[in-house]
Amino acid sequence: MNSLDPRVIRLPDIGEVGRINPKPALDQFGTYEVFVLPKEGKPFQHEGIVHAPNLEMAYVLAKETFTRRFTCASLYVVNTLDVFVSPLSEGNQNVYDQIPQILNQNSAKVNYEIYHLPKRGKQHVHVGRVSASSPEEAFSIAKEQFQKEKIVYNVWVIQSTAIRYTMNEEKDLWLTLPEKKFRDAAEYKGGEKLKEFLKKSKR
Amino acid sequence: MSNNAATIELLYKMADDQLILGHRNSEWTGFGPILEEDIAFSSMAQDKIGHSLALYTILEQLGERAPDTVAFTRKANQFHNCILTELPNGEYDFSLIRHFLFDTAEALRFELLKNSSFEPLAQVARKVRGELRYHTLHANTWIKQLGVATEESVSRLQGSLNVAIPYALGIFEESPFEKELITSGIFAGEHELKALWINKVEEVIGETNLQLPDWKLQTPILGGRIGKHSEYLQLLLDEMSEVFNIDPTAEW
Repeated sequence: MNSLDPRVIRLPDIGEVGRINPKPALDQFGTYEVFVLPKEGKPFQHEGIVHAPNLEMAYVLAKETFTRRFTCASLYVVNTLDVFVSPLSEGNQNVYDQIPQILNQNSAKVNYEIYHLPKRGKQHVHVGRVSASSPEEAFSIAKEQFQKEKIVYNVWVIQSTAIRYTMNEEKDLWLTLPEKKFRDAAEYKGGEKLKEFLKKSKR
Repeated sequence: MSNNAATIELLYKMADDQLILGHRNSEWTGFGPILEEDIAFSSMAQDKIGHSLALYTILEQLGERAPDTVAFTRKANQFHNCILTELPNGEYDFSLIRHFLFDTAEALRFELLKNSSFEPLAQVARKVRGELRYHTLHANTWIKQLGVATEESVSRLQGSLNVAIPYALGIFEESPFEKELITSGIFAGEHELKALWINKVEEVIGETNLQLPDWKLQTPILGGRIGKHSEYLQLLLDEMSEVFNIDPTAEW
């Protein structure tokens, strides 16, 4: 392979020139949802998605993918398949208006975490926990407990035991420099450097 | 300060380890096995360069030359990194095994240095704790998972482990100042560090299908600490300092 990058030259030869090998079906890892606590006292918020082979690996990869730059107090991950999603509401309609009230079911209850989408195009934010015997019942209880005047556009429900939380003794993962702005692309003033360079080379 | 020479020797070997392995690991940027791992590995490489800067800065305060000069202008025989850190990346299994073996030692070394009588080093040790906690979590998780995953993953890791162990033992090549460092409370010494490292490595590998060799039958590959390197280091240095050598005043 021809390249100015010596690392490319060192790559092993893969395949033949001009021949494209089709990828096998389903060669991708599944996805995991990442939630971040930007500061103690604030709620957890949805930050993004990682691909990973399993929950533990998702946790490890999420830490550096989503919290290497800015302050973070804690993080957790959950398999995307474990997130129950309400319908999306249209216009200024509150999504809770579309969620049916379910009669209290008398089977064994477990904890579910509840998340609201308070603004379209923004992240889901953790609002609290309910005890319910099914995700449907959890939506219904959330409607009673968390529906306020403010419009909620979408609700997520996740069973608490499906979540890989940060354990207390792991919190020192974020005892590093509080902010690593040098890792933020916006901190690299490329334009200014270019202007300066052009000015210099004109002289 | 009478322990100056001992401290300087210790700082150089630690800083050079971090710089060289940081550079090696950064060679994966853009080539990692999946995007998330590419980001994590690159980010840890950046941490390592940061650790080397912190240590070179202490060296500058002790009268050595500026960090950039020290990093970019020395020849291979003036570097004190262990040979393990300079070996080419090969395939990802080797990089992961090296990452595991080296970072386990590094985390333990800084743990011992947290209470060093040489306060600037103790401060750095306390500061890098969080980052090293992640590096070892990352390394241990990969090794524990791939170490039991498939026949291919186990045999690849085993092959790399067999190659890397004698080099890894070279991390603990003793300096002429061991006694001085220990008695003055600067550092507990390579001997103690090695014992802690063997325990930790055995603990993690014990949770996998990988086999550790009989430590007594292993001959450590030494020389790095006194500037005797493999042919790979000078090539790495040439590449790393290419821009610096074209224009030493370049800023970017």
